[in-house]
Order: sequence, then structure tokens, then C-alpha cells
Amino acid sequence: MTIVGERFRRTDGWPKALGEAIFGVDYLPQGTIHGVLLRSPVPSGRIAGLDVSAAKAMPGVRAVVSAADVPDTRAGWVLREQPLFARDRVRYEGEPVAGVAADTLEQARAARDAIVLEIEETAAVVDLDYAMSEDSPLLHPDWESYVPTLGEYPRRRNIAAECISDPEGVDEAFEAADRIIEDEYRVQRQYQAYIEPKGAVAIYQGGRYEVHTAHQFPFNVRDRIAQYLDIRPSQVRVIGHTIGGGFGAKLDASIEPHACALSKAAGGLPVKIVNTRPEDLLTCPSREDAITRIRTALDKDGNMIARELEVIAGNGAYSGEMPWLASIALHCARGVYRAGPTRVKSWLVYTNTAPTGAFRGVNGVYLYHAVERHMDRIAGELGRDRREYRLQHLFQPGEVLLNDQVLEDAGILGEAFDLVEEAAPWAERLSATAGPMKGVGIGAAWWVTNPMPGTATVKLNEDGSIGVITAATDNGSGAVTLGITQIVAEKLGVQPEDVYVTMPDTDTAGFDAGSQGSRTTRIVGKAASIAADEVIGKIKQTASDLLEAAPNDIVVADGKVFVAGSPDSGLPLGDVAMAATWTVGPIQGTGSFLTPFPDFNPGCATGLMFPSFPTPTYHVHLAEVEVDPVTGAVEVTRYVVAQEVGKIISPTGAYGQVSGGVAQGIGYALYESLGIGEDGRYRERNLENYRLPLAVDIPRVEFFPLEHPDPDGPFGAKGVGENSVLLGGAVIANAVVDAIGVPIDRLPITPEVVLKAIAAKRSAAVA
Amino acid sequence: MSSGLAFAVNGRGVTAVIDGAATLLDVIRNDLGLTGTKEGCTEGECGACTVLIDGKPVHSCIYPAVSVDGHSVVTIEGISGSETGRAVQEAFWDAGGIQCGFCTPGFIVTVTALLDSNPAPSEDEVRIALAGNICRCTGYSQILDAVDGVVSGKERA
Repeated sequence: MTIVGERFRRTDGWPKALGEAIFGVDYLPQGTIHGVLLRSPVPSGRIAGLDVSAAKAMPGVRAVVSAADVPDTRAGWVLREQPLFARDRVRYEGEPVAGVAADTLEQARAARDAIVLEIEETAAVVDLDYAMSEDSPLLHPDWESYVPTLGEYPRRRNIAAECISDPEGVDEAFEAADRIIEDEYRVQRQYQAYIEPKGAVAIYQGGRYEVHTAHQFPFNVRDRIAQYLDIRPSQVRVIGHTIGGGFGAKLDASIEPHACALSKAAGGLPVKIVNTRPEDLLTCPSREDAITRIRTALDKDGNMIARELEVIAGNGAYSGEMPWLASIALHCARGVYRAGPTRVKSWLVYTNTAPTGAFRGVNGVYLYHAVERHMDRIAGELGRDRREYRLQHLFQPGEVLLNDQVLEDAGILGEAFDLVEEAAPWAERLSATAGPMKGVGIGAAWWVTNPMPGTATVKLNEDGSIGVITAATDNGSGAVTLGITQIVAEKLGVQPEDVYVTMPDTDTAGFDAGSQGSRTTRIVGKAASIAADEVIGKIKQTASDLLEAAPNDIVVADGKVFVAGSPDSGLPLGDVAMAATWTVGPIQGTGSFLTPFPDFNPGCATGLMFPSFPTPTYHVHLAEVEVDPVTGAVEVTRYVVAQEVGKIISPTGAYGQVSGGVAQGIGYALYESLGIGEDGRYRERNLENYRLPLAVDIPRVEFFPLEHPDPDGPFGAKGVGENSVLLGGAVIANAVVDAIGVPIDRLPITPEVVLKAIAAKRSAAVA
Repeated sequence: MSSGLAFAVNGRGVTAVIDGAATLLDVIRNDLGLTGTKEGCTEGECGACTVLIDGKPVHSCIYPAVSVDGHSVVTIEGISGSETGRAVQEAFWDAGGIQCGFCTPGFIVTVTALLDSNPAPSEDEVRIALAGNICRCTGYSQILDAVDGVVSGKERA
């Protein structure tokens, strides 16, 4: 292979370097007017009055819309529960109540400020345990009437989703246990903090809506708009633009449906809405807050013989895709270690806060934090070496999981531990970090490659270039502009610069499930590879006439088509394309692909909506830290990753994903805190106080890929992009606890948390 | 209140009549139509709006436009005009220092200013110079590689 596995420059890189790339927020068609939303200033309340008459009379105003002006529908990815504009009550700070479109942004803002909104504020439900209790007021008194989009699942009152697995033998093992170790961990929310705020332009024309947005999942936007506006999905056309980062937050619609409603009300003028940064932060489907309670039964030799894990996660006021993800607790409850029969209870609960959603490593980051902190705690209690204890319990080839999924290739975990050991020998690192305020942490994970469907059409142009038509989106990862591009170039024997991939358009491309869960390179890369095979077949057919040879003897390589053994006498690819076009018709091919879910036992749990993990990958991370006992600041001095990737398509892209995911994991571990006050409001409200990792904070990540090609993936590829975020919270927390010698049960570990822990240790020592 | 303004953008003289409260970013993006400079936060935190004023990087989203009267502004669209700027652009592309690309113009402008004043900075100096620009995609490693690509061969501090 000359293209796959080699370093290339991403095909969208030069326009981005020049500042020429048109991102979603840059798109501005002729005649665009500006939309803004009036958002609820309070987390919970009854709408007592809404008077838009003054706003409608303001200069430049073209439309004002609120619940009274749009269909009385509810929309949602998994559960149809959310109104386009709050109708009778508001359930989170920032919930849209009305929209205004005017000739200028200033006019729109002035008119919004002239809307008279009266809200009778009610007490916000904030605490997760309280939200679950029978005493808490219901966020959705009508919850029973809400319609799920893909079948009913366990939910009741403020419990938005529930997944419970209660296998035999757990209680018996706990009764027989020599000792029981019990922990509770709490994490706050994490904001995706893509640098391009959300924005969209909507145009209502000829009974259809055309929507321009920089989105990870255009088809989902289409479907959500159709739900809200009570129309057929095909009445909506979503056109993608360059995405300024998403990390999961741009997988569901946000302001697009509101822009649609405003454009229709404004007689079809294009309406553009762009979030301000505070608006974006306050309403973003951030990573959920969660409490994880974990207990493990040990026998007299210290072996883990049973476990219980309970997790309560914050859903916010509406569900998005979150109910699907509640069952991930079942897949991560033991991490990658044998722990005996395990009872898992996972609840997703409504609170009067912004709806949470997908963020890279959905649910996994805090589950692995809990499991890996707990592993360190157990090893510590037993006086055992932390790495050795993990290896003793490590999943083995053919491991049967709690849902009966079988991991034939779980032996890769041991290889990953070995790779990390080669780079950073544990005994050496323990002694190197033995001094005060230095620490080392290690942890491991397994993860899914998102299996959802995708499709691509590959066409051979008459100039020899290759077009790929797909609705796959490049969220910045390079999955399209490196991954799919290099796969297609390799297949057709051309250079990556001879391949272009169209921007997504739901009118012209087949369904694609969006850039999520590392799926694009694998799923759409495979679809494009299948399409390329069809193209190759047609090239060979055409060339066999031109070159007077059997199709099977024709080779497509190096930008040429030739008879095997005679590479110098071939035809340029373009000549074959031209000949085909004017004899049998233009050459193109189409492929579709998805990964089936691995076999599982449907009876192993209730609420098992994400039943098993297709195309598993395996991960071991090691981090070293230094703590400043005066300031409480933690510096990550070393970070090592061993990661199963199947096959690296693009080394540049793979390393970039690993480094970027680790940075987000470090942010999650140490800085990024979207704290919720008792009143239900976020404490951090802009990028000034929401602390993101900077260039001075992140070490160069040492990355050691493992390649066990997957027979179904394109050239063996599995998912790469998402996974590197999974263990930052876990291994950094373990390293900090190792450094300061005090347990810490929460993330992020801010300087305040460190100083408090050190002070508690000192006062305990004095007492 | 509107004000008249005369300054140079990417080497060409421009005049504009602007609202007295307008930021430099407003003028660059909305009046001059140069959309390569990005608006990420309007708080002076993310650095996506970085431009050069008389060779010094500033966050244009919190910089009053009236203050550039008589000065020289370089945006990402003009950065290729200098040898350093062009080399930095190439190096970001080569090294994988670009992912989503939204922060990229700001980074390229900042790095260009750094290397114009300090052609062979140490890695610590580079990291500190970049502390006013946030990248959410790369974890910075390949951005540091890009800077290495430009300074390689030079004696580093």
C-alpha cells in the first residue's frame, strides 16, 4: 500500500490555513436577516404572560414567533418531549421562549428585549438524589403521554431512563465476602467548547426548508425539524458547511428549527441565528453530571468476587439521545477486569438544567474514572501493587461479559499493558515518582466503534479525478479529508489530491449517521471502498475493450489502467472514464455499510437500549503528575497511550485524534468545571471562567498504536477518534492521589480540591 | 455615534465609517468582508480573532476599531504576504496542526508574530506565546510540531 498508512496533508487544510474556508457561521446568503432567541432567564417556572406586541412594532422587525405561532408538537431523538418554544412552563435556564428576526442583529436584539415575559418562578429540581426521590416535583407531569421514537423503555416520574441488570450470585458473594470496599464518586458537567459557536441559516421557499448549518449529523437535524414543524423529513434540506468543532454537541438540532420557523414567518427571507458564547455554553448538551456508587466484594485472598455499581446521571430538562446511553454503565461497570457477578443500576434523571447530550466518550469517562479509582483503592487497601492487581483480574481472550457479549480479542489488553510497560516501566516510574507531590496512575478501557449506517457514491470523472458523494461529515477529525480520502485513493490507485468528497446535503446523499463514535473512517470508508470496487469493475470492463485483454488481467494503479505486467503501456484513468462515458455511460459505484451488533443476551438487563459494543477497541493509559502544594496546581508531566486501532489509515489523523482526546481528558480531570448551583444555574458562564486546557498545560502525548486489522473494516480499520478521552479522568486522578496520599472522590481536581485534600490530611495528622 | 477611520489592512489603505462602539473584528468581518478572522467568544479568551496591529498580535474581538486609525492591520488573508507567515501556514498544514480549522487563523497569526520577533524560540517560549489561543481539537502537539517545522535548522533558545 502506498496511500493507506502513509502521511498526507488533509485535503481541506490549505483553505483553512489561508482563512478561506467558509464555516457555518461565515455563511451569509444575499438578503439574510438576523434571528435571536428570547431564552428563559430562570431554570424553572410557569409562563404567566408573554406579550410580543411591542417587539413586533420595533424598527426592522420581520417576524416574532413563540409557541402560539408554531404547531403544538413535541420533538426528540429518543422521546418526543420537547416543545420548539416553551409553551406553559420553562424547565431550564436558556430554554427558548420566543424568536425575533429583524434586518440587523442590533434590531433583533432590541426587539427581543422589548418582549414582555412574565414567569412565576418555581423551585428548581437540581440534586440528583432528590430528583429521583418520590418527593420531588415532576419536571414533566405529562411524562406518560410522551411518545418514544423507537419503542418504549423503562422510565417513570423524574427518571428519564433506567437500565438494571441483576444477575444471580451477587448477594451470595457479598455475604460470603472477606471484606467489602465501597466508594462514591462525583463528577460535574463538561462543556464541549468547540471554538465555532452554533449557528444556522434557514430559508423557507416553495413549501420546503433549506437549512445551512455546520453540523455533525445533518440527517438528524432534518428529522428533528420535521418533528417540530409537523412536516415530512423530505420537506427539509440540510446542507453542511465546514464545522468548527463539535465533539458530540452538534449531533442534534439546536437553533436550526427556530431559524426555520422564523424564516417562514418572515415570508421566506433567509434567517441566520448564531449563538453568543454565553448562550452557547448555557444551552449546550454538555457531558452529564453524575454520581457513581461502587462496591466490590473481596475473598480472603483479595480477589474480586462480586460488584455492585449504581450511577445516577443528570439528564437535564429534556432527553436528547441520553436514554440510549444509560445502558453503557453495564458495559463499563467492571472496566476491563474480572469482578464476578455484577449488579448494575443506571438511572438518568430529569433536573431543571440544560439538557445534557453526547460528548466524546459518552458516559465512559466518569464510569472509567469510578472503576479505575476504585481499583486503586482496593489495591491500596490490600497493600498490593496497583498494576499487578489489575493484570491479575484482566479480561482474557474469549471473555464473556455481563450481557454475554464475547470478547474473542480481549487478549489485546495484555499487549497494550506490555506496550505501556516498554515505554514507561512501572517499577521505574514508581521510583521516579516516589518523592513528595509526584505521582503516577495507570488504567485501562475497552470501547465501541459506532456501528450506525452510512453510504457513499464514488464517481470517476472524465479528467481522472475521483468524486465521493456522501453525507458523512468531517468535524475536524480528518475522517473525511484524510480517512475516506486515503481509502478511496488507495483503492483507485490515485493520489489523495485527486479525490474530493462533497459536503453533506440531505437532498443528494444517502443517509449518514453523523460523525460520532469514531464511525466515519470505518463505516463510510467501507461504504466508499465497496463503491470503489464497483468503479474498478467498470474500469476493467471498459479497459478490456480498449486494451484488448481480459478484465481480470487489467490493473488499476498509479493513476493508470494497464494490462498486468505492462505498466508502461497503460491508459490514463481519465481516458478510460471518457471512453466509458461515451460508450456505456459514466462510471460510478455506490456502497452502503453498517456494523451489526454483536450477539448479546436480551434478558440480561431491563432498559438495555445500547445492547452491546460493536468493533471493540482496547486502551491502556499512564499519566504522571507533579502537584504544587502551595498553589494546588497539578501539572501533567507525562502521558502514555497504547490503543488498538485495527489499522491506521492516516498517521497524522490518528495521532491528532489521540493527542486531542487526551487534552480533553486532562481538561476533564483538572480544570473543566461546569458546576450547577443550588438554584439550577451554571456557575461558569463564559470562556473566561470555564477553564480550557492551553498550550502550556498539555504534554506531548506518547502514542503506541496496536494494529489488529478488523476483517470487516476498510483495510482493517476500527474506530480511532473518540477513545483517547476515556481514561484521562481515571489515570490523572489516580496519579494525583498517589502524589498527595489523600483520596479524592470527584472531578475536576481543581487547585481548590487539591489544597483542601492536603489541608485535611495535615489536620488529620495533627489530630 | 459614528466615526471615520483610515488604516491599512493587509497593505492596502481603507477608510470606513463605523459605529464608535464597533470592535476591530466587527469592521474586519462585517464592513471589510474578511471572514478568515473568526469570532469564537467575543470575550478576548479564545484567540480565534487574533490579528496583527503594527506587527503585534491582538484579540480583535475586544479591540476598539477607532484605535486602529492610522495603523496597519494584518489578518489571516494577508499573512501569506510575509515569508514567515507563508512558512507558518505551510507548516501547520504539513504537521497536522489543523483539524477543524476554526482556531487556525488566530494561531497562524500569533505564531507569525512570535517568529518575526524571535525566530528560534524554545518550546517553552512557544507554549507561552500560544497561551492566548485555544485549540480544542489538537491537544497542541501538532501545532508545536508545526512551529518546530518552521524553526528547524535554526539555533533555538
